[in-house]
Amino acid sequence: MSAAKKYKPMDTTEPNENTENIAACLKKAENAAAAAAAAASSLGRSAFAAQNMNSASTNGERLPNFSKLGGGHHGEIRAASTTSNLLNRMGAIHNSKPGDVKKIVIKNFKAKPTLPDNYSEDTYVKLEEAVIAIQLSKPIKYSLEELYQAVVNMCSHKMDAQLYTKLKELTEQHVKRNIKLKELTGGSMDKLVLLEKINHWWLSFCQQMIMIRSIFLYMDRTYVLQNSSIHSIWDMGLDLFRIHFAQNSVVQKRTVDGLLTLIEKERQGSTVDRGLLKSLVRMLCDLQIYTSSFEEKFLDATNQLYKAESQRKMQELEVPEYLQHVNKRLAEENERLLHYLDSSTKHPLIYNVEKELLAEHLTSILQKGLDSLLEDNRLSDLTLLYGLLSRVKNGTSELCGNFNGFIKKKGRTIVIDPEKDKSMVQDLLDFKDKMDVIVRNCFEHNEKFTNSLREAFEFFINQRANKPAELIAKYVDMKLRSGNKGTTDEELEKTLDKIMVLFRFIHGKDVFEAFYKKDLAKRLLVGKSASVDSEKSMLSKLKQECGGGFTSKLEGMFKDMELSRDINIAFRGHALSNNRDVHNLDLCVSILTMGYWPTYAPTEVTMPPQFINPQQIFNKFYLEKHSGRKLQWQPTLGNCMLRAQFDAGPKELMVSLFQALVLLLFNDKPVLSYEEILAATSIEDGELRRTLQSLACGRARVITKTPKGRDIENGDQFDFNNEFTNKLFRIKINQIQMKETNEEQKATEERVFQDRQYQIDAAIVRIMKMRKTLSHNLLITELFNQLTFPVKPADLKKRIESLIDRDYMERDKDNQNQYNYVA
Amino acid sequence: MADDPDNSVDRPSDDGDASKPEKMFTLKKWNAVAMWSWDVECDICAICRVQVMDSCLRCQADNKRDVMGRQDCVVVWGECNHSFHHCCMSLWVKQNNRCPLCQQEWSIQRMGK
Repeated sequence: MSAAKKYKPMDTTEPNENTENIAACLKKAENAAAAAAAAASSLGRSAFAAQNMNSASTNGERLPNFSKLGGGHHGEIRAASTTSNLLNRMGAIHNSKPGDVKKIVIKNFKAKPTLPDNYSEDTYVKLEEAVIAIQLSKPIKYSLEELYQAVVNMCSHKMDAQLYTKLKELTEQHVKRNIKLKELTGGSMDKLVLLEKINHWWLSFCQQMIMIRSIFLYMDRTYVLQNSSIHSIWDMGLDLFRIHFAQNSVVQKRTVDGLLTLIEKERQGSTVDRGLLKSLVRMLCDLQIYTSSFEEKFLDATNQLYKAESQRKMQELEVPEYLQHVNKRLAEENERLLHYLDSSTKHPLIYNVEKELLAEHLTSILQKGLDSLLEDNRLSDLTLLYGLLSRVKNGTSELCGNFNGFIKKKGRTIVIDPEKDKSMVQDLLDFKDKMDVIVRNCFEHNEKFTNSLREAFEFFINQRANKPAELIAKYVDMKLRSGNKGTTDEELEKTLDKIMVLFRFIHGKDVFEAFYKKDLAKRLLVGKSASVDSEKSMLSKLKQECGGGFTSKLEGMFKDMELSRDINIAFRGHALSNNRDVHNLDLCVSILTMGYWPTYAPTEVTMPPQFINPQQIFNKFYLEKHSGRKLQWQPTLGNCMLRAQFDAGPKELMVSLFQALVLLLFNDKPVLSYEEILAATSIEDGELRRTLQSLACGRARVITKTPKGRDIENGDQFDFNNEFTNKLFRIKINQIQMKETNEEQKATEERVFQDRQYQIDAAIVRIMKMRKTLSHNLLITELFNQLTFPVKPADLKKRIESLIDRDYMERDKDNQNQYNYVA
Repeated sequence: MADDPDNSVDRPSDDGDASKPEKMFTLKKWNAVAMWSWDVECDICAICRVQVMDSCLRCQADNKRDVMGRQDCVVVWGECNHSFHHCCMSLWVKQNNRCPLCQQEWSIQRMGK
């Protein structure tokens, strides 16, 4: 309708003679139109508009077709529909009072209306002139209404087919004329200018086609609709444009090239006319040659550009910078899609960019950059890396694989070097924390990564047999021992939880148990445990993790300590009522169950009666209560309190049993030689030397040595140090701890191995008892599932043989590979 | 095991005896440690070949030691002074009421507790 308005001035200046003629010929239509025309003119509308409305109202059911005529005509539709509403309302008014008015009878014409001679020829000429005028953007001689009416008449008189052909010819000529213009094909023209020209040409062509379609609207709605094989006028125009545009490869190629150049310029950072790009891309879409002539070339160009760029940038840039660059590029391409490319290109374009920039360089990005990113804890870069790689095929799995590799490599360096043993556990904890944070924050808590992290830890931590388990046990001991001030119970609890995570990775859990038990024993016997609650909490964690069988002995140790307390109370009662000898001495015995506790090498020492007597009384007392038991006293583990009388005053000395034995000798003789002491106590040589060293060369020197010196030699003389002073009343004289030798460590490991044999036996019996019969292979598989430590199949076979010897099971008589349980 | 400082400081009156002050060192308190085990000649049960201090193999397999297993799996001595897990022996006597080691008629001398 906007076009119609534009031409209105001409409409009014030109006389409307033809309208009357045509109107006369169309008396049939007049009846219906009269009311509408009157109504419309009363509203000040032009006749052309009224006519248009008329057709709109008569063809009311076809109204929706307007929308199919191409973009930018909403105004028209709205105008048409509002006027038709108006008409309907007018009609309604008219019809609302038919009762009052006389009835009008409509009769048929007597004669068929005919067209004047030459009418069709004249009209052809008229329409042709008008079309050409429109195509050349010149003023039209005739009013648009007149032209429209002409088309209506032509169609009514079955000349629509010729009219359509004619119109098609005219349009085709016009298109041909335009495309051959020198300025489009000439070689010298600047690409940008060319694009602008084409754009201009296209836009005006569309304008023209809209205009022409308006004039030929009636034909579009009758003739075209009735013949499905014929394109509507608009489509016909597009079709012709496409055919000739496509045929003229020079123009087409130059257009596409121009577009590509423009896009490349933009990719290189220059500002370009996005409006122009958008308009031309839309042209290609409307002509339906977007995919065939443009998209493919565009993608090719994209690929080439990014292939070259990615290769160059990979060389030039560090990985994080490269990733930033890729991110920027992807954002740009998305923007490009938003601004002018057709949305159908989105998938292939982004896919191609990702492929060239990321997928092609996946391995080198990961190899070159991942390790240092992880090492330096660059969280934001890692997040970006994950985000980008998750877009390409295999991206996350490659990343996961490399992540796994990094952990294994790095973890191995922590675990494998004996010189780093001191800090191993702390390093492991820190490392685990760091990796956890990365998986949680950067890798979206992806389950694949969590599992991979776990797998990698389990792998590397077991690269070195036994040692990590031992060190973890020692680490726990350090945390649970008293004197570890500054940490609250909650912090300790947290640390223990973290330790448990590491513990979970360890294959040789029994190694851990052995060392843990040794340290626990020390904590319990010396009363060095920081907190009973923490001890119990750790125990329950272990129980949860490995089951009751694993912790039963550890629990037994705690139980022993409780039982001992009760026994001592009972013993004190017993001693008070019966025997005065023990009265002076406060004897407190910890009764340990053999088997629960670590084994201690039995040592024999000579003890004076003041020890022997109460010991015997206790023995008697205990064995009366528990028949069938025997007690083995452990001199290495006891400690004593001595009251000492120095010149400066009395002191209380906290000493080990050995230290006490040595010191008590000085009551009888103030000066003693090494040999005398050795003979009197029969403490083992090395042990005795260490004991004397602690008393004579330590911080609290209650005896003096001659000659002076750090080491105890044969023949050294020892003297009671009467001048001993100390600001404290109660003094603890530390024992000199023998460093844990390799032998001792070996012994622990040996014991672990021993225990393993029993565990294997128990597992075999357990399985066989349940299954009754089982083949060798299935039994072995079951065992591998149940055992918590690494074993060789050969060892299992030995145990099976041994159980067969002991009649726990037998080989099946018919099948040598089958075992039967013997109840 | 627990240190009991009150008890140890409590008895200075005993030191007041005529002979004692001359002594340079007096023993006031002894925290001793002793291990108990079954008083057996052979610490391995001849029936299940597991140390008598541990639960017998069958009890281990049943995981009875979860709840202080030893009470369930004590040691038993025959008149012949041979000892076995009580569990193992009670299974054994069902088939053969003789000591597996010396073939004497089996009768229980005492049980561990």
